[in-house]
Amino acid sequence: MRVVRLLALPVLLVLAWWAVSGSSFYLPSPDRVGRAFAETWFSERLVLDVLPSVGRLLAGYVLAGLLGVGLGVLIGLSRRLRATLEPVLEFFRAIPPPVLVPLIMLLAGIDTPMKVLVIVSGCVWPILLNTVEGVRALDEVLSDTCRMYGVRGASRMRRFVLRGASPQIMAGLRQALSIGIILMVISEMFASSSGLGFTIVLFQRQFQIAEMWSGILLLGLLGLALSVLFRGVERRVLSWYYGSGAERA
Amino acid sequence: MLEISSLGKVYESRGRRVEAIGSITFGVGSGELVCVVGPSGCGKTTLLRCIAGLLPASAGEVRVAGVPVTGPPPNMAVVFQEYGRSLFPWMTVRENVELPLKEKRLPAGRRRELVGESLTAVGLIEAAEAHPWQLSGGMQQRVAIARAVAYEPQVLLMDEPFAAVDAQTRADLEDLILRLWRDLGVTTLFVTHDIDEAVYLGQRVIVLSSSPTTVMEDLKIDLPAERDQVATRSLPRFGELRGHVYRQIQRARGTR
Ligand SMILES: Nc1ncnc2c1ncn2[C@@H]1O[C@H](COP(=O)(O)OP(=O)(O)OP(=O)(O)O)[C@@H](O)[C@H]1O
Ligand SMILES: [Mg+2]
Repeated sequence: MRVVRLLALPVLLVLAWWAVSGSSFYLPSPDRVGRAFAETWFSERLVLDVLPSVGRLLAGYVLAGLLGVGLGVLIGLSRRLRATLEPVLEFFRAIPPPVLVPLIMLLAGIDTPMKVLVIVSGCVWPILLNTVEGVRALDEVLSDTCRMYGVRGASRMRRFVLRGASPQIMAGLRQALSIGIILMVISEMFASSSGLGFTIVLFQRQFQIAEMWSGILLLGLLGLALSVLFRGVERRVLSWYYGSGAERA
Repeated sequence: MLEISSLGKVYESRGRRVEAIGSITFGVGSGELVCVVGPSGCGKTTLLRCIAGLLPASAGEVRVAGVPVTGPPPNMAVVFQEYGRSLFPWMTVRENVELPLKEKRLPAGRRRELVGESLTAVGLIEAAEAHPWQLSGGMQQRVAIARAVAYEPQVLLMDEPFAAVDAQTRADLEDLILRLWRDLGVTTLFVTHDIDEAVYLGQRVIVLSSSPTTVMEDLKIDLPAERDQVATRSLPRFGELRGHVYRQIQRARGTR
């Protein structure tokens, strides 16, 4: 029953796609796209384009995570730092990351470091700001409890600060994940010779329409896989939070 | 064991100045159980936080075993008024009780022993693997008490620990405190706004005025050492003491 409900809408969508396909050169039928998908991606492109893209995405995402959580904890714990930095942070967060690509290209060239940097520059803000918020909102009574019972230093950081802020940190990480995928593609559309984003643009320029669609499909599947993975991790990390019903409050 | 001398506390924030505590002086002997009563908002929590070293005093000083308090002393445990918020929701009951022991670097065997004993004492050994939010308010309060007890403090501070539980649970918890206090011989300062509770539990009752707070009276409770919810509370002397404290508190509020 669950399987039926889960698959009903996708199946309907594919059927609808079938119905309207063929009406235009730019809208090939699902079976053509499916064939193109298998031919295009189950080939050396998997190693040459897909894996490097995903690798850069993960590298940028992890770096942004470390940077965002690290700085976020520092800023969140210090009232003075927060007051000084918050307006500036909001400004940086408001800049759409894609416009930084030309700038970062000047600074870091057009290779992997540039692409990773682009991903970091976009992903870091939601993580940073959410972490600051989470740390700032830590319960004072729990903080007093830590002081009273000698919980300090690294232990306090691990058992209290990071755990207590984890709902907000995870929310930031989730926002960052979708931003990361977008930036992965965009960074490869500028001055690039490999990668998923590059390949899709290439197909489009060469009028390989079915192949282009298959790339879009692959991106969608990649996003879906990553978000399913993320949900799994989140469920584990935040089981106490969902259990306590705090998210409904 | 505990000496509070001319303690004063003024809260100062932008444009607002609250003199929460005028000047408070009293002592608590080693192994004594002293209750502090006072009208709501008179600065009981403030007093407790100053004693615990969580809040710097504006005047006077607090000494624990002769040592001036500048930060939380290592041999002191506190049960907070907001007990629900004082338990870590991401830890089980057992982990909550064990955490301070880990910080004390006790060996695992000794930790297991202490956690087991204290949870058994408060009747929650079955709930050891539950999370705090799966427990009722009264059970959460008992976890907070178990954590304080397992810590083996020399001084135990409690801030209106039973304000939010029903009458029956409250009576049970009161007797639990008395039993633990007797078994452990820990110096205990118990803050409450409930006059009956103060007289029932305390060897002495300190009556506070409304703020700026001073000690109105330091009353010795000359009831038999063995307390019983029904027998003790129906003693004529219990009624007299209660009435006395009640009138003092009325006076305290009148002088505002
Ligand atoms: N952080 C603070 N900043 C400013 N004023 C405060 C602060 N905390 C408490 N006060 C003030 O100090 C006074 C005493 O507060 P306190 O919480 O110590 O009272 P209490 O006796 O514990 O009250 P209750 O019985 O309701 O718990 C109150 O007038 C309160 O408004
Ligand atoms: Mg209080």
